[in-house]
Amino acid sequence: MARRTGMWSIAVVIAMVAPALAHHSFAVYDHTRTITISGTVTRFQWTNPHGFIEMDVPQSDGSVKHYSVELTSINMMQRVGWRSNMIKPGDKVQVVGAPLLSGEPVALGLEVVLADGKTMGLPVPAIGSFKRSETQ
Amino acid sequence: MRALNAFVVASGLIIAAQTIIAQSQTAPDITGSWQRQGFTVGVKPTGQATPAAPAAAPPPPLKPAYLKEWQDRLKVIREAAAKGQPIATNAVACLPDGMPGMMTATFPLEILQSRGQITIIEEAYTQVRRILLDRPQKAVDDIEPGFYGHSVGHWDGDTLVVDTIGVKENVRYQNVPHSKDMRISERMRLVAPDTLWNEITITDPTALEKPWTFTFAYQRMKDYTLLEYICEDNREFSDDQGRQKIRVDPAPR
Repeated sequence: MARRTGMWSIAVVIAMVAPALAHHSFAVYDHTRTITISGTVTRFQWTNPHGFIEMDVPQSDGSVKHYSVELTSINMMQRVGWRSNMIKPGDKVQVVGAPLLSGEPVALGLEVVLADGKTMGLPVPAIGSFKRSETQ
Repeated sequence: MRALNAFVVASGLIIAAQTIIAQSQTAPDITGSWQRQGFTVGVKPTGQATPAAPAAAPPPPLKPAYLKEWQDRLKVIREAAAKGQPIATNAVACLPDGMPGMMTATFPLEILQSRGQITIIEEAYTQVRRILLDRPQKAVDDIEPGFYGHSVGHWDGDTLVVDTIGVKENVRYQNVPHSKDMRISERMRLVAPDTLWNEITITDPTALEKPWTFTFAYQRMKDYTLLEYICEDNREFSDDQGRQKIRVDPAPR
């Protein structure tokens, strides 16, 4: 019985901490690999509940694929140094992100290399749970 | 006789004034910004955390039928998340936590002390609750159920004692079910100059076997001003199966 109670306590502690940290679950994103995409920003959406980078990514066959990169709450971003003027349409950026499990061209941004070469991390809760792939 | 009356009135005024001064002297200054101890929000809190953090919350002592409902719900949530198809929470629809969820302070809190009222604002979803001081609590049937309920409070020495009832039954902290008779009692006290503890006790004669008590600790953020938070463009939504989905919409707006 003591063991059962102990297990429950652990489960409850996890349940009570984890959901409190995010607007919603990031379980829709692949935690087993990341993608690295480079392209041209078409829009930097500075909004809550989450920000977005919209970008056109040139493919090896010469075509262009459009990606949406989901960011965290802009409040969390501001608290770690992000500003709304850091990205503008036309900027060339590189994003390391966790792809959407459904296969749609959406990724959760974990790290962004800005047009000026500066790297900005995203304050994604439990970011360590996303396994990084080798840069393609 | 007139002199005696004047003396009595003056004495009464002096006693009343002394009472007000005494109250204002005993009520600690908790006005300002606070972050949950141990939560990383990107801004360093002020001062040292107290050496001992409050104990982790025990499981809710739910009555069997409610316990089963809660455990079944957690199982569904866990299994859906493992499949990469998480269940949509209220937050997916940009609905606020309500009480007592907002006191978990996912984002920083601001506490404002004014005459007759203490106001608590949580940055995420710009949640606001008002604690009316030194007023009687209403009967639960006289309150329209809401996200934050109806809160009254008073200072008991250095402790702010708050009583909240009237929280909607679908506003569930950590998915724990409750009845319309849920009562949230809070005891907020500075345990150090920059550390505030809030001991929360939930009673619910319908859903709980016994009171459920847990404590949140907050650290002062002296130089932090709460940021605006508006759900301006929410791409997350709940599909017809109640699963969280994201609108893939690259079209500029």
